[in-house]
Amino acid sequence: MFDSKFLGLVITGFFETIYMTLAASLVSYIIGLPLGVFLSVSRPEGISPKPVLNRAFGSVVNLLRSVPFVIMLVAAIPLTRLIMGTSVGSSATIVPLVIASFPIVARSAEASASSVRHGVIEAAQSMGASDMQIITRVILPEAVPSLITGAASSLITVLGFSAMAGVCGGGGLGSIVINYGYYRGETGIMYVLIVILVLMVQIIQEAGARLSVKSDKNSRNSN
Amino acid sequence: MASVNDVIIHIESLGKIYDEGKPNEVKALDDVCLDIFRGEIFGIIGLSGAGKSTLVRCINLLEKPTSGKVVVDGRELTELDPPGLMKARRKIGMIFQDFNLLEQSTALENVCFPLRLAGSGRKEAEKRAVELLARVGLEDRTGSYPSQLSGGQKQRVAIARALACEPDVLLCDEAVSALDPTTTNQILELLQEINRDLGVTIVMITHEMKVIEKICSRVAILADNHIVESGNVSDVFRNPRTEAARKLILPSGGVEPFDGSGRLLRLVFDGTTTDKPIVANMVLSCGEPVSIVAADTKQIDGKTFGQLIIQLPSGAGSAERMMAYLDSENISYTEETDV
Repeated sequence: MFDSKFLGLVITGFFETIYMTLAASLVSYIIGLPLGVFLSVSRPEGISPKPVLNRAFGSVVNLLRSVPFVIMLVAAIPLTRLIMGTSVGSSATIVPLVIASFPIVARSAEASASSVRHGVIEAAQSMGASDMQIITRVILPEAVPSLITGAASSLITVLGFSAMAGVCGGGGLGSIVINYGYYRGETGIMYVLIVILVLMVQIIQEAGARLSVKSDKNSRNSN
Repeated sequence: MASVNDVIIHIESLGKIYDEGKPNEVKALDDVCLDIFRGEIFGIIGLSGAGKSTLVRCINLLEKPTSGKVVVDGRELTELDPPGLMKARRKIGMIFQDFNLLEQSTALENVCFPLRLAGSGRKEAEKRAVELLARVGLEDRTGSYPSQLSGGQKQRVAIARALACEPDVLLCDEAVSALDPTTTNQILELLQEINRDLGVTIVMITHEMKVIEKICSRVAILADNHIVESGNVSDVFRNPRTEAARKLILPSGGVEPFDGSGRLLRLVFDGTTTDKPIVANMVLSCGEPVSIVAADTKQIDGKTFGQLIIQLPSGAGSAERMMAYLDSENISYTEETDV
């Protein structure tokens, strides 16, 4: 079963998985990071309280987060066809991945942004900083270590989703597991792929943790 | 000492109510009136919950007053639009109990921060930041992150940062409360130096009388959300008129008679009376002993003051005789009750 044809399949699947994970994560961050920061600053205790908008966006995020990904995958097919022209393959899978991931990214970014000490923001306000300056020069730079930790866990979630997308012809390692492990019952292949996925998760987690510690100037000496 | 024109901070009928109109509304400040003169170090003291932090935050409008006026350097802040307020705030520096430095930025970047906000170029800002850090004695720590600095050093960075835009006023919110006594003295001396050399008006918010005694010329006592007493520090110390003032001035923990009975008198001595043996003479002249409950000396505004709390004998008429003696010697005293 481990012939060169299979090896080629695994390598292609591996890169498809990486492609889907990174592309979907990137788009999720482009939407989710600003949304998360908005959710944080528009809270009642934030620098620019906007109760109505905060509740509206918060509800959309909660709604999308409560749809299980397998269902989202199927439910998003019409939209996926509309945007990508097809619902099959790794590029098409990016659409449901983004829909499912950006709310997770938004909540994670919101938590990071809200972890910045209020006193530091107050100090910036006392120096005459505008709300935008506080976001770009205080909240985001101060939240970097926490944002990195959040990014690692978001990447892992998207990786998991991308494997699930194999059920609907999504490509990547997940498809190979479904096709070989599930439909053909070749459990050996399935275990090899599981090992690869586990390793990928471990690498992301470890890299994220190290990068976060390295970027955190607050934990070098004391603390 | 200062004319009306010298008032730099004018606070008029200031009120602040949190959650106004809701069932959980809290009155934090009530009809506060205050004039602070240009170039002085003004203390605002009160126990926790008195409204000190709210009051200082109303001076730069970090807290929006519910009523009243705040005028700083001729500008009525309460009437400014947001851009006008942002500009006015650049001339009002502020330091905090928790320092509130950017933790992911070096000392130098922290001091550059307000300059960059105000539109300075990087080079120009860094040059000025280096000067400011040298001014506060941290020329060798420019590249350090806050987590690599001690509490005193962090407050020095915060002071340099607050001075970056050449403010007219420096607000200090419990600026030395998180520091040990030695560091507290060093920071207070630095603030005094800055006040003297740069002419910056300093407003010190504190719950510790020793901070007021050390560097303030005038003081306002805040209790139950309004100012109960204000004046020169030495006058308030010599002759506190309110319960709140007495509580703050008396040795910490309060005083009470040794055996639970007998009247307590608080005598205050300044430089002109300390060389006379007042208590010994009083005891000799009245023929009865007194007990000393507490005694200490303080430096206020460069002068030495002593306070002595004595318990008078409980025998009939003896307390009156002693008070008559003090009156005849022109010694000011107050009777302490319920402390």
